[in-house]
Amino acid sequence: MLSLSRPGTGWLHRMPTGPKLVALSLATIALAALPSSWASVPVALGAAAILYAVAGMGAVAGVRELGRQVWGLRWLLAVTAAGQLLFLGSEAAAANTARVAAALLVVGLVPLTTPVAAMLDALERGLRVLRPVGVDPARAALLWTVALTTIPVLARLAAEVRDAQRARGLRPSFVRGAVPFLVVALRHADDVGDALAARGIR
Amino acid sequence: MIRCDDLAVRLGDRPVLHGVTLDLDARTTAVIGDNGSGKSSFARVVAGLVRRSAGELSVCGVDPDRDATALRRRVALVLSNPDAQIVMPTVSDDVALSLKPLRLARAERDRRVCIALERFGLSALADRPAHDLSGGQKQLLALCGAFVRAPDLVVADEPTAYLDARNARIVADHLLAETGHALVVVTHDLALARRCEGAVLFDDGRVVASGAAADVVGAYEAALAC
Repeated sequence: MLSLSRPGTGWLHRMPTGPKLVALSLATIALAALPSSWASVPVALGAAAILYAVAGMGAVAGVRELGRQVWGLRWLLAVTAAGQLLFLGSEAAAANTARVAAALLVVGLVPLTTPVAAMLDALERGLRVLRPVGVDPARAALLWTVALTTIPVLARLAAEVRDAQRARGLRPSFVRGAVPFLVVALRHADDVGDALAARGIR
Repeated sequence: MIRCDDLAVRLGDRPVLHGVTLDLDARTTAVIGDNGSGKSSFARVVAGLVRRSAGELSVCGVDPDRDATALRRRVALVLSNPDAQIVMPTVSDDVALSLKPLRLARAERDRRVCIALERFGLSALADRPAHDLSGGQKQLLALCGAFVRAPDLVVADEPTAYLDARNARIVADHLLAETGHALVVVTHDLALARRCEGAVLFDDGRVVASGAAADVVGAYEAALAC
């Protein structure tokens, strides 16, 4: 999700977020329903490739993005293929791995073609059904987004804690770094809360 | 713009401001003083993030403790650490977040975001991941997020603390620009303080001098030399 949307003006970019989620979910279900046979491999991967090519990022950019996404999934696909190969044989392993890969690639088109603000709006609309049970849709949607975007900040804070340990001649360790990391992370959370309040976000 | 009478603030049991009586009407005001002197607490109480424990306070005609919503519409806050202010994944999304409370139509929201990005020289970075920006660009983004709502007053708490000289200058130029807003800037950068019209000097939670920036900064420098 942190890979963010790619600029574009194609049909998938222009499509409203809700219908887009429904359409790509249906495509994912269709891919998952393919039989476990050799024939499913080109069908699943071909469908994903075609969707990327015609998604409106431009054919070349779409295929390049497809490659980037596949590379990002390489370990997951390798583990999936190895496990299936071990227990189900080559045909089922190939078909199932292709189906998983295609499903994840199709789902990946949502954040690639949808600005986060639009995703946030759609999530907020979707969560409105939970309002009767006390869920604040705007707050829940923002919480989800802030949690995602805080990941790189926390990674940087953890690196700074490790650097501080090295600077004092200590070997970085998880146990020794846990408390200072927690302190800086909580301080960061306080600052984010203040900044959101100052921007009028409850 | 800001009026306070015998203002006091406590953080837990610790008094951080006491007996602060001020009437700030200058378009740009620097708040200076040593670490722990109460400058940031003053900025936070003015921005409505901290409640006062005693006294009276009026910011743009609004009592921050009584009408926080009206205060948010009129006052924007910029912090020293831009990472804490950037909460959305991309530059344009983060600026758009500031407009969310206004519940604008998407086209109007996008239009205002475009104008703000242009003003801060961030248009080319609109779709970039916000946390991949340089420190200077992040602080410009934080300013952009504050200014996009066209506030009457911008409160900036050490906005140039993490920046190199060039970026500090750029950020200061944007803050001091005459675009219809008033500015209260907490700073250790005395060059920036001198560029303001007025200044307030804090020491141990009290105001020890206020007036024309050149005079107050001069008094502070003289005290530092002792």
